[in-house]
Amino acid sequence: MATGLIRRAISSSAAVAQPARLLTARFHASEAEAQKVEPKASANTDTKKFQIYRWNPDSPSKPELKEFEINLKECGPMVLDALIKIKSEIDPSLTFRRSCREGICGSCAMNIDGCNGLACLTKISSSGSASTITPLPHMFVIKDLVVDMTNFYNQYKSIEPWLKRKNPPPTPGKEIPQSKKDRAKLDGMYECILCACCSTSCPSYWWTSEAYLGPAALLHANRWISDSRDEYTKERLEAIDDEFKLYRCHTILNCARACPKGLNPGKQIINIKQLQLKR
Amino acid sequence: MGASRGPRLSGLQKQVLSLYRGFLRAARCKSAADRRQIESIVSAEFRRNSNQVDRKNFLYIEYLLRRGKKQLEQLQSPNTESLSQTKQS
Repeated sequence: MATGLIRRAISSSAAVAQPARLLTARFHASEAEAQKVEPKASANTDTKKFQIYRWNPDSPSKPELKEFEINLKECGPMVLDALIKIKSEIDPSLTFRRSCREGICGSCAMNIDGCNGLACLTKISSSGSASTITPLPHMFVIKDLVVDMTNFYNQYKSIEPWLKRKNPPPTPGKEIPQSKKDRAKLDGMYECILCACCSTSCPSYWWTSEAYLGPAALLHANRWISDSRDEYTKERLEAIDDEFKLYRCHTILNCARACPKGLNPGKQIINIKQLQLKR
Repeated sequence: MGASRGPRLSGLQKQVLSLYRGFLRAARCKSAADRRQIESIVSAEFRRNSNQVDRKNFLYIEYLLRRGKKQLEQLQSPNTESLSQTKQS
């Protein structure tokens, strides 16, 4: 894991070069003005540069940031549109996950300009500087922007995200009734699409992803704990009452910032911690 | 690069060898013909990678280890019968 991180830092030398460029622009203002203004918005071309993380496992090279330039006038507004345009017109070997293009499947989660988000919901920023697109941080990379999500999915599976009951339903063969108030308790948790933006934005999850469950899994744990139809609440709370599984959360709250659906996993984790005290 | 089978094996080499052992153990639970098939594919793959992949290319070796572990998990499931390989034209 560490080697991958170090390699990325070294190879993204473009980031190191940028401060030097800014300094010269300040000192030689008149010169810079003539140089730094690229032909931006004209009648039918409005170009934007994208620096995209590339790594091919079949080639022995280290990962690098490749630059692509596209015309925004011929492209849709979202980052996913730009990626698809690059893949179809410039470099077909660019690899990324995508499916619904409307922010409901969670496949296109990636790090855009330093913030985790869904590529299909993130607008291409209109500033002239290059956009940097990298895979979700601190995840093993399979190829280019595709990361290995098995650990994340296993953690979700470990909290047993299904209804568990000890008694049969009150009217057999029919749904278990739930009042509107009890159903409202699940709002803010059932909408989670498991995109992994929150977990991969949590520094605590970066450092202990094997043991800490992460905001997404804990949000779902709370979803089942607060479901009035579920009868295994005590057992669920006991299962995650662990120094590593739950208490690696230090309310950093990066998760709430990163969530593309506007959910707040940190708040749900605080709820679980309060329930643990009451138990 | 040839593997250094000296008295001191590095942690990475130990992981690769334990993965290889895992594959052979999983092959033992399958039928005799399938077992031979699995063993031939797996040993050919490991031998090819040990010759072609640079010893210092940790990124690629770790990637291959992760991929191999997933494939081993699939093979260990009782529903899987055997392994086969198709050549890329």
